[in-house]
Amino acid sequence: MATEPQTAAGQRPVEVLAAKLKRRQVVGSRQTALETALVLRQVVSKARFQNITQLVEIIRSVGRKLIEAQPKEHTVGNTARRLLHHVREEYNNASKGEDTACATEFSIANFVLQGQPRRQAAELKAESTLVLKENDSDDPDSFARTLKPVVMEAIQDILDELETVYDNIAKSAKDHIHSERVLSFFLFWSYSKSNAGWVSLSEIILTIGRSKTVETYLKSAAHYHKFTVIVAESGPSYGGHDMARSLSSSGISTFLVPDSSIYALMSRVSKVILGAHAILTNGGMFAVTGSLLTATAARAHSTTVMVCAGQFKLTPLWNLYHEYGALDFDDPSGVLGFEEGDLVDKVDVVNPYYDYVRPELVDVYVTNDGDHPPPSMYRLIKESYDDEDNEL
Amino acid sequence: MTRTIVMSSISHRHFRAPSQTDGTGQNDPPTAGAAQKPQKQLTKAERRELQERQRAAKAAQTGSSTVKQPRPTAPASSHPKKGGKGSEGPVQGRGSPSTGPSGPPNKSTKESKPTAATAAEEAAGRSRGLRIFSHFALQKSVGHVAKGDVHPAIVRLGLMFAEFKICGANARSIATLSVFKRVIQDYTTPANNTLSRHLMTHLSVQISHLVSARPMSVTMGNAIRQLKLEISGSDIDLPEQDAKDALCGKIDNYIRDRIIIADQVIQETAMKKIHDGDVVLTYARSSIVQKVLLEAWAGGTQFSVIVVDSRPMLEGKRLLSTLAAAAIPCTYLLLPALGCVISEVSIVLVGAHSIHSNGAIFSRAGTALVAMMAKQHSVPVVVCCETYKFSEGVRLDSFTKNELAPPGDPFSSFPRNRSPGSLVIQNQPNLEILNPLYDLTPPSSITAVVTEAGVIPPDAISSIPLALGRLV
Repeated sequence: MATEPQTAAGQRPVEVLAAKLKRRQVVGSRQTALETALVLRQVVSKARFQNITQLVEIIRSVGRKLIEAQPKEHTVGNTARRLLHHVREEYNNASKGEDTACATEFSIANFVLQGQPRRQAAELKAESTLVLKENDSDDPDSFARTLKPVVMEAIQDILDELETVYDNIAKSAKDHIHSERVLSFFLFWSYSKSNAGWVSLSEIILTIGRSKTVETYLKSAAHYHKFTVIVAESGPSYGGHDMARSLSSSGISTFLVPDSSIYALMSRVSKVILGAHAILTNGGMFAVTGSLLTATAARAHSTTVMVCAGQFKLTPLWNLYHEYGALDFDDPSGVLGFEEGDLVDKVDVVNPYYDYVRPELVDVYVTNDGDHPPPSMYRLIKESYDDEDNEL
Repeated sequence: MTRTIVMSSISHRHFRAPSQTDGTGQNDPPTAGAAQKPQKQLTKAERRELQERQRAAKAAQTGSSTVKQPRPTAPASSHPKKGGKGSEGPVQGRGSPSTGPSGPPNKSTKESKPTAATAAEEAAGRSRGLRIFSHFALQKSVGHVAKGDVHPAIVRLGLMFAEFKICGANARSIATLSVFKRVIQDYTTPANNTLSRHLMTHLSVQISHLVSARPMSVTMGNAIRQLKLEISGSDIDLPEQDAKDALCGKIDNYIRDRIIIADQVIQETAMKKIHDGDVVLTYARSSIVQKVLLEAWAGGTQFSVIVVDSRPMLEGKRLLSTLAAAAIPCTYLLLPALGCVISEVSIVLVGAHSIHSNGAIFSRAGTALVAMMAKQHSVPVVVCCETYKFSEGVRLDSFTKNELAPPGDPFSSFPRNRSPGSLVIQNQPNLEILNPLYDLTPPSSITAVVTEAGVIPPDAISSIPLALGRLV
């Protein structure tokens, strides 16, 4: 119907973002999520629809296009899914009269049958004043007119969440990181003569590469405690350098080490804090390359591994097939530059963006929605998205 | 077999303090110091060595008027007693006393005041940084000016060590021994002295100069101990030139037997572990692994190699170019990407800096990560290592003693496509750069060690000296 040309007109921002994603001009899970939410807002604000199916289809098609442009940026799809979830929720609330039949009575049988635990089910907005008239032939826009503000509000919520995600995650920082004072003895007598006494043995935290989430988390913890951060540089991007510079500039005692010394230093590390690119349904995650190595080394030393990540990184995906991380490769020049001349055409160079970290290597996910162990990621994802959106 | 000099786990930086106090009483050095040495810790051989040293020192003192230069007594000789007192720390740089701690060279003994000042400075710097890392002593830039009677060839070698122009356990040992041959040939026994006693003290000065350039490797320590044994055992009645020639012959034999022929045996054994269609993964660059791979390829085995590499040294690039030149199919990646390929690997071949009696391998930083990942994926981890790299001490982690690569980017290991401004190359306020050179691979992630004495599981490494008739 009329929706066809209308959506086409609203396609421009979508095309622009898709191109940017393809060229990796927009990278990073939060940035892509933000951009996606903004594009969705533009599209929805211009879109014309008469019923919920059409609205859902509009959002889905945007999500599909963007995912197609860059399948490895999982937060694009997540944002679309999140919005769909909100839209359906609002719709269900408004048209409560019709399908309120959905059981509110809790039992194991219901839990299994329903398959869709809805957290918000409890807090149904009683004062839902929306009166939705779907497919009203007299006034085709009435449905859109009533639902649009609500949808816009939902998008704004998503944007707000993305804006505040770092601070919300960092809230728990002071509880997880601590510093203690202990009496330290030095074996070496002549040395200890001058230095014996109470020495602050602060916590030593290891992280790899650069994650804005981890950065904010550590900076927030630094307000309360004194601790030391070891940053592995994560070649060949060497994002650890930016991270180390940023942490040290806010007064945190920082050590920058090459990736090769992760194992050597791990025996003195009290916590490993990693960032994530995407958290998968099984509790595993995609994260910057080197994360697998770090997490495995931490496991070998029984060191706690914490992952700081926003809820928007929850991705309804399983990784059953590849240790290979996200199967996404960067250009090889960072590893073996053209200055190596004759070597370049003789050897293969592997330079992946991400590692896949298995759930058993992670102890806890610190999200803006609280701390969760890997096995409950499944539940969180079920709560955040609707099953039918797993494939957009 | 000399007992090893046990170093405190707090390591050599902390050794500065004692060496200073000793430095004040430097004029009557080893004799006075040695008397305090707890006798319990000495084996017969060591006691004899000690006695000989004392006698040599005494002789040197009485004859010092005839010696051209007032010989700066190597601080080294005073170290071992400190070491002996030290705790149950891991053992390294054992044996010959002068090889003990890689702490201050003779510089500090000569003028103790400036050293005290620098020590205070360091203490101040340490309080800024994290105490537990303080023992990773930074490389000092070794001057061209050598203190004492240091042979010019040794000065040259010291510079090459300090600048990593010569690095790798084998290369360093061979270079050291070859230069020692020259030192021995250029040496003339002063009057009223015997070669077997005086040469030792002469060599000690050379050794401490080398140590000041870069901490001694286990291999060098082993080789030097063997050399000292030969010197002390050389016949007093032999004409000087004959004795020197005999010593040089001994050195040649050592290089040939323990390194070159050992390498050949290891090559032949390790080659058999590579089969057609295998994917061999190696980390950084080990001279022996390189030989094994080239030999296996020349032998007609069809396999491919994955070279894993990492900062700070990026040594794998050199291995890569050698292998690529031999037309071996190669894949190159940096350490973080290891997870990508590890499931496709059939065997991991790595070299070692030293092996320890608990089966642990001290090797280029990153080896432990590779071995750990390989073990997890049930890929055999085979270490190629000559038996002269054996060190009798037990090492428990890579933390207690390590060496740091100089900060900055002396190996130009950063990719050119990153602007240098975006990288942190020098220490900044609150930010320190730490580049450990080695790490310790626990025996649990090693499948086998290929030595010239055969392929042995890491648990059996402690039996190496026994198998060699206590040669080490």
